Amino acid sequence: MQQHRALILRSNRFLGSALVNKGLVSTTDLEEANTRFMEAIQSSDLRRASILSTLLFDLKKLDEAKLIDYLVDELKLGMVDLDFIELRSLRPMNVDLSLCWASSTVPFDHVEGTYLVASCYYMSAPVIKYWEEILDGRVLWYGTSTASLSRALERIEEIHKAEDTSEEE
Amino acid sequence: MPHRVLILDDDADFNSLLTDIFEQADYNVTSLMDPIEAIEAFRDREYDLIVTDHKMPEMTGAEFMKAVKKVRPEVPVIMVSGYLENDTIRELISEGVGGVFLKPLNIFSLLKRTAELIEETQKLQDSSASDGEGADGEDAGKHLGFSFRSYPCKSGASASFAERLYSLRNFISMLSLIGEPGMHYRSICEDILNFYESDAEHFIYLSPGTFDEAQALSLIEAAQKEGAERVTCVLLDLLSMNEAQRVIATKLAKHEGAFEALAVVLRTIFCVSGDLDSLFDEGLIDENLYILMGTTEVRVPPLRECSVDVGIMAQQLVVEIAREKSLAAVPRFERSARDLFRQQTWGRNYEELRATVRKIIDDNPGDMITHAAVKSALQVSELASPRDRLESHLLGQQVDYLRAVSILFNGDRSKIAGFFGADESAIEAKLKCPQDSIFSREYTLWPDEY
Repeated sequence: MQQHRALILRSNRFLGSALVNKGLVSTTDLEEANTRFMEAIQSSDLRRASILSTLLFDLKKLDEAKLIDYLVDELKLGMVDLDFIELRSLRPMNVDLSLCWASSTVPFDHVEGTYLVASCYYMSAPVIKYWEEILDGRVLWYGTSTASLSRALERIEEIHKAEDTSEEE
Repeated sequence: MPHRVLILDDDADFNSLLTDIFEQADYNVTSLMDPIEAIEAFRDREYDLIVTDHKMPEMTGAEFMKAVKKVRPEVPVIMVSGYLENDTIRELISEGVGGVFLKPLNIFSLLKRTAELIEETQKLQDSSASDGEGADGEDAGKHLGFSFRSYPCKSGASASFAERLYSLRNFISMLSLIGEPGMHYRSICEDILNFYESDAEHFIYLSPGTFDEAQALSLIEAAQKEGAERVTCVLLDLLSMNEAQRVIATKLAKHEGAFEALAVVLRTIFCVSGDLDSLFDEGLIDENLYILMGTTEVRVPPLRECSVDVGIMAQQLVVEIAREKSLAAVPRFERSARDLFRQQTWGRNYEELRATVRKIIDDNPGDMITHAAVKSALQVSELASPRDRLESHLLGQQVDYLRAVSILFNGDRSKIAGFFGADESAIEAKLKCPQDSIFSREYTLWPDEY
């Protein structure tokens, strides 16, 4: 995760500003979330370093349903529940799982040269830019909930572990 | 009278569909399928808005837009297309497209955006028309419902900026003003102070030249003695600060160290000329400041985005300089002279505008400042010394290269110094050099033989 430190900082800063600009959270709440975020960054607990999770679960200052409504109604983003997707290893796509954790984003399918990518950080421009660069711009974006994404990344971790085990055998 | 819309789409079916949509919404529509004909039609007749396809055989929608913007840049353009890459959409928006709609169309969104764009353009034209001869800045900002003097707010960008600052006036602990070189941050912060009626509200201004912890503390304590209940510390030029000053700035923002025990509410305003992300990449601001400054970040509009304001700002400067020079009468601009100010790009923003106006007044223009006097002052600042202009340009390029190499080497000063064959201390100084100082040529990076 350390290699993604700059991306984590940048994507969270942009997400925080976007949430305030769109009136989804107040500046006071963002200030508090920023403080907690920096504590996580400084303790090198990068997987916990998420302004979104802090606002949703620690501070309870953001309602995820409202955020999803905003993504759908205003940004016209399609949503996906990854629990219903048959996930595969990310290795053939040359995607590092730690990058997915760092950016709360996962490519969950690859169809005729286009990557289907789900993210909880769609409102953070650096995340979009970063993924579109590494996937060569051929991306179809979806939004997803934080719980759905976490479960999906854990499932992919299991898939990678199983691959490692079978390789050792 | 219905608003006039020009529709351009080479697909006959889709063209007809668009025409029906707009006609049923009571617009007066001209629909064409050939871009060349559309440009001619646009030249011959007034339109309030253009709707164009992006992918056409003769020229792209972007090329068509460029052609019509040359004729009347104020007319908004909406782009409609079957499929566009995200990068293309961003590019189109940055080039001035007012809206991008992908097929299948959301008719309601398209009509809503159309109405918004026409209304915005109309407002802009109205405010431009009301920018009368008598504008001397005395009523600047009054139409907003609150006092605002640093911009007259006759243009959309400055009015939105003032409204945003006003809406954020009760920010809790920090605010970042991010702009280009030469902005008038101090005046802007004075406007923020004027939002409050209470005498218990105090602002202190910390300049990189003199600012240290002891000075900051003594200014805060002095404000407290004068009855301040809340003190806002304005850090006027974050980029010019040395490492120690940046540490103090972080402590101030986080109310830590010597600032923790103060019995007064503390807030911080950071003023930065430059792009925060680039500064972070170059290691000029640390992680803490980078995140803290993002909490409430406001972009300060450059003068080129506020062309309607610039003539009025020039007149305000004339008043200020005339007072300073104790002139018997305040010179006024001819209308055509004031229009000249609007046509400049003002690369160094307010600082450049002030220098130009000072030059005009120094030349004793009399009671009326003519078009010729302004033109001459502008030519002096632009052309009198080609060597200076070239030197400034090269120095600007030099810093750009340096920053690029800095990113390449992850900010490793010794590697950067090795790459350029220069001293590490010179590299250090140059990377800390604010854009303003680049022009003042206070720093020398290159060995003499360069």
